[in-house]
Amino acid sequence: MSVLITYLIPILGSTVYTATPLIFASVGGAYSVRGGVMALGLESMMMCGAFCGVVGSYYTGSVAIGFLSGILGGMLIALLHAILCVNFRVNQVISGVGLNLLATAMTTLLMQVIWGNKGTSEMVASVEGTLGGPIPILNAQSFNFFVMVAVVALGWVLLFKTRYGLRLRMVGENPKAASAVGLKVHALKYSGVLICGALAGYGGAFLSLDQLNMFVRGMTAGRGYIAVAITILGRYNPVNIVLSALLFGFCDAVQIYLQGQGIPAQLIQMLPYAATLIVLAVGVRRIQPPAGVGQHESD
Amino acid sequence: MKKNLAISRAALKNSSLVISAAAMVISMLISALIMAICGYNPFEAYSAILTGAFGSLRGIAQTLAQATPLIFTGLAFAFAKKASLINLGVEGQMYMGALGAALVGITDLGLPAIVHVPLAVLAGFLFGAAYAAIIGGLKVKFGSNEVVAGVMLNSIAGYFINYLLNGVLLAEGSSVAQTERVCQTARLPRIFSSYQVTIAVFLAVVVCIAVRWFISHTVLGYEIRSVGMNKKAAETAGIHISKALIVAMCVSGGIAGLAGANQVLGVDRRLISDFSPGYGFNGISVSALAADNPLGVILAGLIFGILRAGALELNRSTGIPVEFVDVIQAMVVIFVSAPLMIRHMGKLTRIFRKKPAGKEV
Repeated sequence: MSVLITYLIPILGSTVYTATPLIFASVGGAYSVRGGVMALGLESMMMCGAFCGVVGSYYTGSVAIGFLSGILGGMLIALLHAILCVNFRVNQVISGVGLNLLATAMTTLLMQVIWGNKGTSEMVASVEGTLGGPIPILNAQSFNFFVMVAVVALGWVLLFKTRYGLRLRMVGENPKAASAVGLKVHALKYSGVLICGALAGYGGAFLSLDQLNMFVRGMTAGRGYIAVAITILGRYNPVNIVLSALLFGFCDAVQIYLQGQGIPAQLIQMLPYAATLIVLAVGVRRIQPPAGVGQHESD
Repeated sequence: MKKNLAISRAALKNSSLVISAAAMVISMLISALIMAICGYNPFEAYSAILTGAFGSLRGIAQTLAQATPLIFTGLAFAFAKKASLINLGVEGQMYMGALGAALVGITDLGLPAIVHVPLAVLAGFLFGAAYAAIIGGLKVKFGSNEVVAGVMLNSIAGYFINYLLNGVLLAEGSSVAQTERVCQTARLPRIFSSYQVTIAVFLAVVVCIAVRWFISHTVLGYEIRSVGMNKKAAETAGIHISKALIVAMCVSGGIAGLAGANQVLGVDRRLISDFSPGYGFNGISVSALAADNPLGVILAGLIFGILRAGALELNRSTGIPVEFVDVIQAMVVIFVSAPLMIRHMGKLTRIFRKKPAGKEV
């Protein structure tokens, strides 16, 4: 019992904490894919969200405005992605990869312009401390835990229980049919991608303003791609996404815990990435994306 | 009508060249705008880049040295793309190739250079190919997304090599994570004794030509292209899709490994942790600018090599961040992939100038 309290509870607490940004981004990814647009640009949306979050907080001193700018930053990249994929019919994989390159390059460039340093930004106002209190696991979270729960719940309702969600999913399954029955295919796809950008941007801002208090070069470190894997493993459903994200959060938490235990750090740091690979291999075999991903209403 | 057809056919033939050129120009213009907004003078910057890259023997050597890894990684990306695979794992494959070359390079085999050097280069190729085979295998066997798998394997390769460099491979008495120097007999000769450009630049060109020949003149190359164009049709025609995908991935990874071998055997002459400033990802831009054409990769690699070498000089003299070259490269990827957008922009400019005043570029 005492082992449980000393080891398991803290690990579970940090599992939820490290899974939170992944959940934000992956729920966003679900909206993008359900609307028929691949979400390989999640990395860039998170990166831009993390950066804009710090910029917002740096210039105003307000964490709230920081998170708001994070959302806008993610949406900015999402808008580019939507213009490219919906209007100009760019290969969605290439568009995502190109935007990821652009976000990495632009944030590194702008860091030097704003702070004169290409490694880290200055420290900014960020989320202070955790909730605390008597409830284990929950006491290791910040207020963003409740934001995450709300996003998952509302995200599920909007996607599966509203007219908008039905229409979005129809566009993702069959854009031609959706267009034939009079749905505004472009507008719906834009909405899916922009929701994705907003949530991924918030997830990015969580990395820079909640877990840290600054922006670090390349700070998303592949988390956007892990979020893509989580989106698939969660079958594009916000509730399942929470479960798969917790799996990755657990790997990350164990990794952080094991670092003090004499095993070479570099080998342990591989853990989340190796877990993603294994999940890609065995976990997602029979999961099909919506049938209309990458299709246009008038092919 | 007939005239129209002739024009459109000619346009089709040249369209990828036109789009690449337009994408490059637009990207450089937007970067100039960004530079101006950030408070740097773009005209000064671009002219300084050109003099930096061509103004001296040192500049030319620097250009070729920068172009070498870009040609390799660009070709690696383009090769996988022929089978419509997006190999985002080039960076990791390059690191593994560097590891292979280093293992053979630092071991004193008692061989003459004429054997030892090719052996070490071959080890680089094989390590890169084997590492890429993981992505190919996951894709074929489990239908895993190769983009995500590639990025994960990049991180894993990075940590794995850092682990080796801080443990068994760490050079004696070194405070930096790096191996011993490679043997004299395993070093790629440098073209100019005091600059980093090695004969690998010729190897890069030869490999590009060989790939071009392989793709267009061999059965396997034809199969890879068919799978890339239309999987179902290829399958109906009796082509072994899994084989084509795995071969495409392995050759792609092998070529990426050559970039690592050049770094270890020619440039640094030892394996240093985190040696790459992102050559693997730059390869995506090189391949995009070349429209995935193996011979075009040579030219595209040189163009980005010029920008990079010039920007390094520029950074030394004016402090303009080198990263804006990365911005140009990222935008090239986006614009090349969006021919509809470029055509759209073309139409817009035509509307704005109703009476074209002479021939503008």
